Amino acid sequence: MIFSSLTFLFAYLPLTLAVYFLSPLRFRNAVLLLVSLVFYGWGEPVYISIMVLSTLIDYTHGLLVEKYRDNDKRARWFVGQSVVFNLALLGFFKYWDFLALNLSALPGVNLPRLGLPLPIGISFFTFQTMSYTIDVYRRQAPVQRNLVSFGAYVTMFPQLIAGPIVQYKTVAAELQNRVSTVEDFALGARRFTAGLAKKVLLANSIGALWDTQLAAWAAGTLTAAGGWLGILAFGFQIYFDFSGYSDMAIGIGRMLGFRFPENFDHPYLSASVTEFWRRWHISLTGWFREYLYIPLGGSRRGTVKTLRNILIVWLCTGFWHGASWNFLLWGLYFAAWLVLEKYVLREALKRTPAWVKHLYTLAVVFTGWGIFAMEDLAVCGGYFSVCFGGRKLWSAADGYTLRSYSLTFLILILASTTLGQRLWRSLPRRAEQVLTPVLMGLGLVLCTAYLVDGSYNPFLYFRF
Amino acid sequence: MTRAYGRFLTAFFCLFLGGLLAWHVFLPDRARSETENRTLTQRPEFSWSALASGSFTADVEDYFADQFPLRDGWTGLKARAEQLLGKREFNGVYLCGDTLIAKVDPPLENLEKKNLAHVARLAERTEIPVYLGLIPSAAEIWREKLPAGAESWDQSSFIAQGAALDGVKPVDLLGALSAHAGEDIFYRTDHHWTTLGAYYGYAALMEALGRGGETPDRGDFSPETLSDKFDGTLYSQSGVHWLLPDTMEAWVKEDGLSLTSWRSGAPEEAPLYERSFLERKDKYSAFLGGNQPLCVLRNETGTGRLLLIRDSYADALAPFLALHFQEVHLLDLRYYRGSAAAYAAESGVDGIVVLQSVPNFITDRNLGLLSQ
Repeated sequence: MIFSSLTFLFAYLPLTLAVYFLSPLRFRNAVLLLVSLVFYGWGEPVYISIMVLSTLIDYTHGLLVEKYRDNDKRARWFVGQSVVFNLALLGFFKYWDFLALNLSALPGVNLPRLGLPLPIGISFFTFQTMSYTIDVYRRQAPVQRNLVSFGAYVTMFPQLIAGPIVQYKTVAAELQNRVSTVEDFALGARRFTAGLAKKVLLANSIGALWDTQLAAWAAGTLTAAGGWLGILAFGFQIYFDFSGYSDMAIGIGRMLGFRFPENFDHPYLSASVTEFWRRWHISLTGWFREYLYIPLGGSRRGTVKTLRNILIVWLCTGFWHGASWNFLLWGLYFAAWLVLEKYVLREALKRTPAWVKHLYTLAVVFTGWGIFAMEDLAVCGGYFSVCFGGRKLWSAADGYTLRSYSLTFLILILASTTLGQRLWRSLPRRAEQVLTPVLMGLGLVLCTAYLVDGSYNPFLYFRF
Repeated sequence: MTRAYGRFLTAFFCLFLGGLLAWHVFLPDRARSETENRTLTQRPEFSWSALASGSFTADVEDYFADQFPLRDGWTGLKARAEQLLGKREFNGVYLCGDTLIAKVDPPLENLEKKNLAHVARLAERTEIPVYLGLIPSAAEIWREKLPAGAESWDQSSFIAQGAALDGVKPVDLLGALSAHAGEDIFYRTDHHWTTLGAYYGYAALMEALGRGGETPDRGDFSPETLSDKFDGTLYSQSGVHWLLPDTMEAWVKEDGLSLTSWRSGAPEEAPLYERSFLERKDKYSAFLGGNQPLCVLRNETGTGRLLLIRDSYADALAPFLALHFQEVHLLDLRYYRGSAAAYAAESGVDGIVVLQSVPNFITDRNLGLLSQ
């Protein structure tokens, strides 16, 4: 089930909230576990078994790590087991077909492709549960002895399928004991509505333009201007799609009494690629830093090892986004820019005017989205060759596209800045109190209209 | 945030979600949607096997969306919002002033070429003369009404390809309609041609059949208004609900003409204009009673027998032909599912006309039945 569907909004969510808040406090983790399993099993009921298996194994490993606390070797052995299990789960369901396809190109190797549907959210929940055992080992998180509470953490539906990646230690206390106030609920509802509007009204609308441009490329009618418009559209689509989903997750979490970490901080305002990656998908970059980059030695063991570590982390980041060569290339692309900024451009960037740095960052990031968006490298190459003038530069159809989407683009650009936030904060209290329900009502009504109109639009991050 | 204000916002949010849920639950389910012209998904039956395969939850989603309260109203609201954003295309339909025009997408898998080949093969297989009448849609005839730069597939050059087909005689519908592009030859809210457009099409067809001299002048008809409240398919598809409804006319009087319809599978006498449809959304089906595999128009005083391999555009045109022909057979291969050549031989017609609108012709996957 996805948040931006009629069934979720008008059946699952109200029923879930009703059951949750009607239950006594001590049963709420159990309720959360049950409704989350329903949520998870909605699309592929058989995959509930993966969820149950994953919960049981990580629960047991947490206990084992705690039990052998005094025997470091055995404790590490169990942490290792847990990591291997999670990576194997992820590897099998997400990467098997890719590996089989590519390894079978070698002489004498013939691996069958399975074509299994990807269990939703597997990239997210395997990373969450890995962080649990590692943190228990590092004494950064208390062990969870209650299976129901642990199950509620693993399966928790708000961030289950698209993040943020909530590390166990950030919600450990709230799992044991959380207060749900009506103020929290109201703030959560407001945040959820904002996220829903970002996804349904902004991301889906501009996503249609990207689809059109990609089809134009296939039909041979794409121009350079149209190509860049398409890439711009995709960049906005993925930002509002993904950050909208994070907003909805954070909002629902807040309604239920959880404080999830923020996942985006106006990434398109960044003045360098390095800064962009501090503001984009914060919970993922944080995860890789904490559990991969720093354990590898980070940047403290000389230039060669630092370069190696950056390369490893970014290849993993790229590959995490999808089992395809373009994602590896995308990771490599950013590794290159980050290294360049770290060692070469650093001084030059300090002297560069701010607006040039912003433009440079956007150019790098949006070109990156082109690599990200087209899994078939032949398509990607062809599309970019048009973007760089391989065919016509401009056609009448581009004028039509611009006229149709200019207002949408304007809204997207403004919504990518902090302008709205600053305006909102400068409002007198009274105005804010009146405007909040008006805007929420408008957002909900319009989202409902868009959802009823289209058969709902599946969330982009499903594949990951 | 004060506690009281928090309560207010919480209540507001919950009432919106819960209120629509309650509305959905208490609203009686509808069997079909007139606006969308289709049956709606009904409450799915639960079974463990359906649950395990995932089909149960998928059906629940369909059911929930199909039976959502005020479905049509929400669609209209979305179209209004899109219009405010400066959009001119609504679910594949262009809003051009007071007129809706369906965009024509390029055909897939060379279907348009394959279908032309089917027509050529039919002409090879039969001694009966074969005519090809490709009807350009409004997106071609009214191309200058489309928003500047808006795309629609080039139908004219495709019609030229059709006209060059070996052994097949072309009917110049493009020329006939283009000559009258300034008139109301297509509906503003529906993808079909109006009775006026069908009249020009009929005149061109008579010309191609060599009987152009028999065509009465436009002024010889006294049109009867069937309905002035016709909201067509484009009204439904686009969600643009604020245009003036169309007017539907009948030009040909029923006197002396009879219609045998295979609507229910067996032949039965039917009126030329099925007026009960005029009370419903799908008013265009009043012409000959709408979609059906086969029907035959008879006129005892007419001469000659004609077979039309057709789509719904022929519903408005065929009554004109019945003024001259003893029998006009209308075969729709989407529903007939038999060999057209065999039917032509059995019914003893002296001409076969493949008469289809270009958007249908380039997407039709049943034309293999032409040459079987």
